[in-house]
Amino acid sequence: MVGPLLKGLRVTFGHLFKPAVTVKYPYEKRPVAERYRGRHILKLDEDGREKCCACGLCEAVCPAGAITLYGAEDPEFKRSDVGKIAETYEIDYARCIFCGYCVDACPRGAIIMTTDYELTVPGPGRRHLYKDKDWLLEKRGGE
Amino acid sequence: MIVAIVIAAIKLLILFAVLMLFVAYGTLAERKVSGHIQDRLGPYHCGPHGLLQPLADGLKLFFKEDIVASESDKILYYLAPMIAIVPAVLALGVIPVGDSVTLFGRKIGLVVADINVALLYLLAVSSFSVYAIVFGGWSSNSKYPLLGGLRSAAQFISYELILGLSIMGVIMVVGSFSLVDIVHYQKSMWMVVYQPLAFIIYMIAATAELNRLPFDLPEAESELVGGYHTEYSSMKFAMFFLGEYANMTVTSAVAVCLFLGGWYSPLSFLSWIPGPIWFALKLMAVFFFLLWLRWTYPRFRYDQLMVFSWKYLLPLALVNILATGGVMILLGGI
Repeated sequence: MVGPLLKGLRVTFGHLFKPAVTVKYPYEKRPVAERYRGRHILKLDEDGREKCCACGLCEAVCPAGAITLYGAEDPEFKRSDVGKIAETYEIDYARCIFCGYCVDACPRGAIIMTTDYELTVPGPGRRHLYKDKDWLLEKRGGE
Repeated sequence: MIVAIVIAAIKLLILFAVLMLFVAYGTLAERKVSGHIQDRLGPYHCGPHGLLQPLADGLKLFFKEDIVASESDKILYYLAPMIAIVPAVLALGVIPVGDSVTLFGRKIGLVVADINVALLYLLAVSSFSVYAIVFGGWSSNSKYPLLGGLRSAAQFISYELILGLSIMGVIMVVGSFSLVDIVHYQKSMWMVVYQPLAFIIYMIAATAELNRLPFDLPEAESELVGGYHTEYSSMKFAMFFLGEYANMTVTSAVAVCLFLGGWYSPLSFLSWIPGPIWFALKLMAVFFFLLWLRWTYPRFRYDQLMVFSWKYLLPLALVNILATGGVMILLGGI
């Protein structure tokens, strides 16, 4: 009866001096897989025009119903190469399940996912997780 | 006379401050030890290696909302957390932390009160802490605290008996109830060598008295939510925790006095290190042992707890007393 008890004590004492497996998260970060599905961005083409043509396939395929978009015409082809762009494009990150179906569905490769998973926002309220097109759009010259 | 009172008051103040320090850093030690045993780091953010965590915890608990259960028995509900801390502080008075020192031509013993019934006093006072738990459990007017309180009462009665019997062996060998005498007796050899069985039984019973794993039935989280302090919040909750860790410190201190040679150094060439430091080191070792136990063993089942107490520990303690008496007669001690 005493033997197993002592064995248990020995095991726990041994673990006291083993290095911790903890990652001190805000200071250290683990590497993320290349194909990690994180925050979305809406791509721009070479001329800086939006790729999205507001076909609505991503909205239709989204199983969580997180995407809302509304199309508009662009007769002068300034903001799009097909004459149609998304007037509004919103993703509700309180609903998004990061399945990546929107990326698969997009015929023009306009929406892709990045490896960024830090989507927390300070302050209360879910409305902060409701992201509009300005936030989603690929920054010109960046990213 | 007045000088004596002032000296006693100063000694008490210092001891109390040291106890509170031990309590604060006891909580940190608990979290650090648990963390490292589970291959984690424990608190790390506040100060270097989380050393300021106790301060942050205290501050947080002060600012927490104090929720009072509306159907509670108010007087007992407020009284219970206060009682929780009292026994440990009372017991502090008879624990010698070092030999006497001479200051300003006056010989001052490093114990607040060297009374000749110190051990009886300790046993009497430590039984008090069950009131905090039972009052807390009863007055909350909620089923889980009540169950926790009842379990605690039964556990206390069982293990208090064994605690007392385990100490009997030591008292028989030394022939005195005074903790100072008991420590003086261990100048050349620790009591744990003469009374190994008593030491083991004392540690088991003390762990049970402290409601710590593997004997934490009164607050078994998985069955009783939080046990007797389920309905407490803010500083009232903190008082229960303060009491638990203060009791741990005092119980460790008593174990050091009774079995581990008190303030005497284990090896004679190390005796230049002052007694209180030896005392603190030994206390920390026993304290660590309690933490180590907690993070190693799972909880007893309730019937196992009772069977273990009455069917195994009680006869063992009695055998220990008989054997001690027999050996003493054979050696012509009496």
